[in-house]
Amino acid sequence: MKKFTITSCLILGCLIATAQDKQKDDTLFHKELNEVIVTATRNERKLGNIAVPVNIISQKTIQQASSLRLKDILQEQPGLFLTSGFGVGIQMQGLNPDYTLILIDGEPLVGRTSGVLDLNRVTTGNIKKIEIVKGPSSSLYGSEALAGVVNIITDRSYASKFSASVRYGTYNSLDANINAGTRIGKLGINAFINQYNTDGYSIRPYSVERSKLPISRTTPQLQLNYPVSNKTNISLSVRYNYEQIKNELAVSNNGTITYSNGREINKDLNINPTITHNFSKKLKSSLHLYATRFEGSQKLSTTSGEGYDDYFLQQFYRAENQTDYTINKNISLVGGIGYLKEFVNSSRYDDKNSRKENEVKYGFLQTEWIPFKKLVLIGGFRYDNNKVYASAFSPKIAARFNLNDKISFQASYGKGFKAPDFRQLYLNFTNTSAGSYSVFGALEAQQIIHTLDAAGLIKQYEDDFYKLQTLRPEYSNGFNAGFTIYPVTKLQWKVNVFRNDIKDLIEARLVATRQDNTQIFSYVNIKRAYTQGIETNLKYFINQNFTADAGYQYLQTADKDELQKIKAGNYYYTRDASNHSVLLTRKDYLGLPNRSPHMATLKLTYEAPAQRWFANVRAIYRSKWVVFDKDGNGIYNKQDEFAEGFVQLNSSAGMNLKYGFRVQVGADNILNHVDANNLPNAPGRTFFTTLTYTFSKQKK
Amino acid sequence: MKKTLTGIFAASILVFTACKKDDVTTTIDKTNDGSFKVFTEGQVTTVQNLIADTIVGFLPSGQPVGANKFTFFSIENNTLVPSSDSATARWDIAFKGTTIITNAGTSGPGAGGAFVQIGTFDAYTTIPTDSTFRTDANPVYAIRTGSGKGWYNYDGANNLVTPLPGRVLVIRTASGKYAKLEITNYYKKGITPSASASDDEKLHNQRYYGFRYTFQPNGSKNF
Repeated sequence: MKKFTITSCLILGCLIATAQDKQKDDTLFHKELNEVIVTATRNERKLGNIAVPVNIISQKTIQQASSLRLKDILQEQPGLFLTSGFGVGIQMQGLNPDYTLILIDGEPLVGRTSGVLDLNRVTTGNIKKIEIVKGPSSSLYGSEALAGVVNIITDRSYASKFSASVRYGTYNSLDANINAGTRIGKLGINAFINQYNTDGYSIRPYSVERSKLPISRTTPQLQLNYPVSNKTNISLSVRYNYEQIKNELAVSNNGTITYSNGREINKDLNINPTITHNFSKKLKSSLHLYATRFEGSQKLSTTSGEGYDDYFLQQFYRAENQTDYTINKNISLVGGIGYLKEFVNSSRYDDKNSRKENEVKYGFLQTEWIPFKKLVLIGGFRYDNNKVYASAFSPKIAARFNLNDKISFQASYGKGFKAPDFRQLYLNFTNTSAGSYSVFGALEAQQIIHTLDAAGLIKQYEDDFYKLQTLRPEYSNGFNAGFTIYPVTKLQWKVNVFRNDIKDLIEARLVATRQDNTQIFSYVNIKRAYTQGIETNLKYFINQNFTADAGYQYLQTADKDELQKIKAGNYYYTRDASNHSVLLTRKDYLGLPNRSPHMATLKLTYEAPAQRWFANVRAIYRSKWVVFDKDGNGIYNKQDEFAEGFVQLNSSAGMNLKYGFRVQVGADNILNHVDANNLPNAPGRTFFTTLTYTFSKQKK
Repeated sequence: MKKTLTGIFAASILVFTACKKDDVTTTIDKTNDGSFKVFTEGQVTTVQNLIADTIVGFLPSGQPVGANKFTFFSIENNTLVPSSDSATARWDIAFKGTTIITNAGTSGPGAGGAFVQIGTFDAYTTIPTDSTFRTDANPVYAIRTGSGKGWYNYDGANNLVTPLPGRVLVIRTASGKYAKLEITNYYKKGITPSASASDDEKLHNQRYYGFRYTFQPNGSKNF
């Protein structure tokens, strides 16, 4: 009885406190609903009007997590799964990194290796915020925006400001930033530079071999803004990234030790002039010019005389006009046309001097209609006319219904596509180590194999050889539906259910076998798959200072053809504990590999009054994921090889000092979970400290 | 005191169960310790670690090679057969790397042959009358070589060979009788190395066949 009284008193007390806080908390939530996002609709819209699942990461969140590279902060977001191999990529809604478009200030980054754009290439030093849109967004962005879009918005403040920061941590990792803004007359200038160095680390005990190699990266960025008149604005952004990775190895093979010396250099340049003109309050038009190039070279020299010299150059030029027209209070339009041209040279193609090219002309249109106050409807499409592959039509519709202040529903359907990339068309690569195999691009595979056959080098053609043909884009149909509820004022609960049906997935398949039994692969549009799941997020403002934020994603995937065969029965077998064959059942089947069915994030943040100091603890959980078809049945099932599930715990604390100084300390991977094979990008426990100085002229 | 009693009691149970076990079956050491072993339980004979031309060196291209010698085995007698008897009908099946031959055609003078049936070992109880046995015609063997073609899958990226699950090798012995056989593993101790294991480990533990079979001595096609 006593207990009951105490409890009810506590609850009552809470209720009273809640009622008192209500005013403040409401503003907190309204602040969130009023937050502006551009990526979802290509124009500035409040979150309260957005009908697709989005996630905004603020500069404060990045700083409090003390993230250095883009991957550091993305891995702490619910539902994003970091992949390793050819750099660090993200899986979104269970789809490979190939299907997420990465933008900087609305313009795409290029230079993917095996479909992966290395997220280490982007420093977080001058990121103002990151907008993540989940679900197909090809109706606005074209190819690659099949799983979603990550748009990095850089800091473009031109107010007089100077800030510098230095962070030092384990493995001699040094990260330094300088950011300065000023105005000269009407001209706004923002200059930024980041330098990142690390010794790299080895997570194989007693080995000099580095899991992560010594790296040096330099990223300067200059942004200019000039308002010609109060209606016309010109801006220019120039960004450059230079990275050098050293690789010194000693490999022992049958008693012979071979020393090798590798250098990888990647250069990334982005130039983006923009002119915007407001014809009237209702009509605004902008012209975006964009030129980018990514140049990567990997050189390896060895004492045995073997080695390689790998070269890759991608150039991308684009001109795009976008016009926003507000017809009336309830209807507005966004439309645009664009032209892009792309060139690639690679030593992994037939000849690095032969330049491969592609050209795309496109147009898009989107309407936002608010038939009555509580309902927002968005419909649009984009048409991409592609020179090398088939054209693509990508429609999208979305709706949001705000039932009241506490509950809103949203649903969307979109078609996404990804054009075949240059690698899938032109690759000409033979791996002489590790089993030895070749991969030839789809445009050239047949001819190369016929030439080899004429020379008597082909033992047999495999079944998939006869499926080789001109590649088509990969398509998806994506559905998202969910709600946001504030059950009590301090609590925000979001749920989103998703399903992506993908067809014509391009996969490397065994097409022929050489006389010496080495395998030849090429690319075919062959797979049908789906990913589906639920993502939920709970945010609890415990009090003015204390916030808890939890996210969870459950994911299911399947190759549709495999699933069909399993359901029909008598096709796939596996082995029991004594290595005896048994029929595979539906419940053994896992679908696509390298995906954790359960992923969760938890973040606890304490901020002292007046932002004197803060501390946070961030946990990332991934359940075990299948990595290798151990039973050799060609599909992934519970009897196969898994990477161990884990919890990664990170923590950081910072304090504002006098005279514009701020100090921050932290530790990442506190539980020291390492897995050299499956998590080569996660070092053991590391520590760091950061010192920041900010000087700004306060506006009065 | 109580502890001691419990101890004695537990010990007596151990003795009792151990005796009982001995009474029922003769001791078969089934532990797979990496050595070659043949044992029979009921209708099924199990073979562990049959060495099939293990790797002795590398070609200049880096490709691993063995001594190019088959290991011969008699299904009828459950024993290895010396290679000096390779030209006789004393063996039924032989192994060299991933190549499996039967005693007929270009491989030997026997009345052998084979085909690969999809399904489980236990469920395969009768050889249908319309089944056709193939015989070896070097370089095309009754049991096809090549990844996914016959009895195994080769993963080039991870450099691992796994016997395809759900494959029954239906064998006609050198004397024209029938057996069904399932390859259970290709690596020493019956353990396929993990994908992340070193190339060294993968190469030095491969070509150790594990398999089981049922031989029908009366010449019928029923198992």
